[in-house]
Amino acid sequence: MATMIEENGPSTHQSEVSPSSQARQKLEGLLNKNMRIRMTDGRTLVGLFLCTDRDCNVILGSAQEFLKSTDIFSQGEPRVLGLAMIPGHHVVSIEVEADSLEDTQRFGANR
Amino acid sequence: MSSGEVVTMVMKSAVEDDDAGWGLGIPEKMKNNANWVDITHEFKGACKELYLGELLHDKLFGLFEAMSAIEMMDPKMDAGMIGNQVNRKVLNFEQAIKEGAIKVKDLSLPELIGIIDTSFCCLITWLEGHSLAQTVFTCLYVHNPDLIEEPALKAFALGILKVCDIAREKVNKAAVFEEVRNVLQSEDFQAMTYGFKMANNVTDLRVTGMLKDVEDELQRKVKSTRTRQGEQRDPEVEVEHQQFLALFNRIKFTRLLLTALITFTKKETSSVGEAQKLVAQAADLLSAIHSSIQHGIQSQNDTTKGDHPIMMGFEPLVNQRLLPPTFPRYAKIIKREDMVAYFSKLIERIKTVCDVINTTNLHGILDFFCEFSEQSPCVLSRSLLQTTFLIDNKKVFGTHLMQDMIKDALRYFVSPPVLSYKCCLFNNHQAKDYIDSFVTHCSRPFCSLIQIHGHNRARQRDKLGHILEEFATLQDEAEKVDAALHGLLMKLEPQRQHLACLGTWILYHNLRIMVQYLLSGFELELYSMHEYYYIYWYLSEFLYAWLMSTLSRADSSQMAEERIVEEQVKGRSSKKTKKKKKVRPLSKEITMSQAYQNMCAGMYKTMVALDMDGKMRKPQFELDSEQVRYEHRFAPFNSVVTPPPVHYIQFKEMSDLKKYNPPPGSADLYMAASKHFQQAKLILENVPIPDPEVNRILKVAKPNIVVMKLLAGGHKKETKVLPEFDFSAHKYFPVVKII
Repeated sequence: MATMIEENGPSTHQSEVSPSSQARQKLEGLLNKNMRIRMTDGRTLVGLFLCTDRDCNVILGSAQEFLKSTDIFSQGEPRVLGLAMIPGHHVVSIEVEADSLEDTQRFGANR
Repeated sequence: MSSGEVVTMVMKSAVEDDDAGWGLGIPEKMKNNANWVDITHEFKGACKELYLGELLHDKLFGLFEAMSAIEMMDPKMDAGMIGNQVNRKVLNFEQAIKEGAIKVKDLSLPELIGIIDTSFCCLITWLEGHSLAQTVFTCLYVHNPDLIEEPALKAFALGILKVCDIAREKVNKAAVFEEVRNVLQSEDFQAMTYGFKMANNVTDLRVTGMLKDVEDELQRKVKSTRTRQGEQRDPEVEVEHQQFLALFNRIKFTRLLLTALITFTKKETSSVGEAQKLVAQAADLLSAIHSSIQHGIQSQNDTTKGDHPIMMGFEPLVNQRLLPPTFPRYAKIIKREDMVAYFSKLIERIKTVCDVINTTNLHGILDFFCEFSEQSPCVLSRSLLQTTFLIDNKKVFGTHLMQDMIKDALRYFVSPPVLSYKCCLFNNHQAKDYIDSFVTHCSRPFCSLIQIHGHNRARQRDKLGHILEEFATLQDEAEKVDAALHGLLMKLEPQRQHLACLGTWILYHNLRIMVQYLLSGFELELYSMHEYYYIYWYLSEFLYAWLMSTLSRADSSQMAEERIVEEQVKGRSSKKTKKKKKVRPLSKEITMSQAYQNMCAGMYKTMVALDMDGKMRKPQFELDSEQVRYEHRFAPFNSVVTPPPVHYIQFKEMSDLKKYNPPPGSADLYMAASKHFQQAKLILENVPIPDPEVNRILKVAKPNIVVMKLLAGGHKKETKVLPEFDFSAHKYFPVVKII
């Protein structure tokens, strides 16, 4: 179960299922799932989605870093980083595994 | 080896050019793009619905955990950042060969000399505490010596791998013997090999053989380029001759060093002597190596823009991906000019270690370890000492039983009747049982005690604190055995007495440990100035007082035993034995303890007086408690039974100056301190053969006598400038300086 830390006071809407809490539920459904994030410098991080915030800063657990696959001198092995935070403004794309998305809460697959 | 490395070993797989780009060992699903669904837009949209400052996370993950995440794209935390990378291509060995960036044959003499010297520097840097990945293994040649065609370089690469392997093995072995009290405690030389191959497919003998072959070939070259009588000297040939000689010396040095280390791994005691000869031979080559450093090529790249110097055949970043992300990018490799100085000191230490086998008594070995440790020797020499002392954790030097050594130590220190051949108890079955069982129980703690001194200084202090618990148990047992033996002796030989002999011996060691524990706190700079006074008090008024009485009790016990033996001898022999004034075995120790006690007393009174004059900076915060600090400093002593620990309230009572009438003022205390330093000086100046320690103490005692007299006379009384404590002459006793 996800909890939310609210630093600016308690949430006012708690009774109805509003679009904002739908959004939260969708995000919550992704917690602890494998996520692949491409960064602005071309590197890709793969790890478990642990945390995010309004600015789309994402924390991945057991993160592995992959360099550009087109680099002929890249050894192709991932570099293990552990716990890593990607600032929102450096996120180019976010991908999850197809089976992470539950049918009832379709995120809107973009193939 | 660095102690900051996390135990996540990433096996270095064989490199293959993988066009798919993902490499080996990655789960299929990572490669298969079809399995991944892009949710960027939706994710970002959902995030916007969160409040400012709101975090979305699992219940088990919070701000505390989030805090320790490394921030990507931050140059300080993200070592892999693309913009943060160096501009050159980082090639591994096979890639470099392919690219033609590295030569595996037809290397010139200057190139070989340069590569060898840089490798030596990397080896030293590793022994000093850096990781293999950032030192020895930045040399591409050692990654796969099979690919090297140049015989000298191939032999050298294998040689240096073997040296690393044996050194690493020795250090690990030394650590294995220690009692693992805290499983998470990491030794300062972690055995991280990252999956590097350490020439395991080649035997030690083969490698030394290869080195010898190269040596012989080089020797022929040296001879053939030598000046011939009557011939005009061609300067080019002369240079070539020098370079061949330089290379020859380096290969020979490698072979000797390697052979010496191999010899240390052998279990016969004669091998220690052999190893000593080999390292001495290696040391003889050092000056020639030093004078030929300039023949080696230097790094070739442009370092004007602040880039790290790169030597041909070396790539400092080749192993970067094997290291934890926040590791510093480069280890600072020592300069070639310093290389020879380091080797020479290392060899001196190894020679010293070899001398330990000449000391066969327990106290002597303990003192040897203590003295050796005081120079803060490197981890390799300490490990060699540990593994030479106790081979395979069984016999001392592979020949003596610890129990026998303990019995000898008891005889030397306190002459217990039960161990005297002339005493009836010696063959008494029950007495033998008592003493044998006691001595057996002593074996492990004493082995540990000696080995503790083979650790680095900081760890030693910590371990000394812990071993007091074991000694408390021994003390208990000693008391019981003493009582039993005393009872037995009373019945069988009433004119002789066994009075707490064993207890005295254990107490002696207990006190030594406690004293060392407290004094090493000064060396490690653990105490604040306002704490000095109670540390020195505990030492002078309490521990040294006990030590003095223990030593004199032991001395009396020895004398009593000697008298009895003399009587027995006199009775048989008709000759008159000449009364020669014998030097008492414990006299040096008693003298030194007296000197130390006076130094501590002097320091104690100095600190109290300075405080009285307002020249001491003390903590001023609301929740401050000196009692808490005091109890913390002496916490390890709580497990000791004799002497019983002095608790804070008791300390305050015992040290209360108000019990004197009139209570002393600062001038009186300065004067008293001066007298203590004076007394120490007198005692030490009477030592017949002064050793360096005596001179060191004198260097502190003499100026302090003067300073204390000045202070007693009111010198600079009004100044509130704090005094300085200079520990450069002696790490336990500072020279007090009034500014």
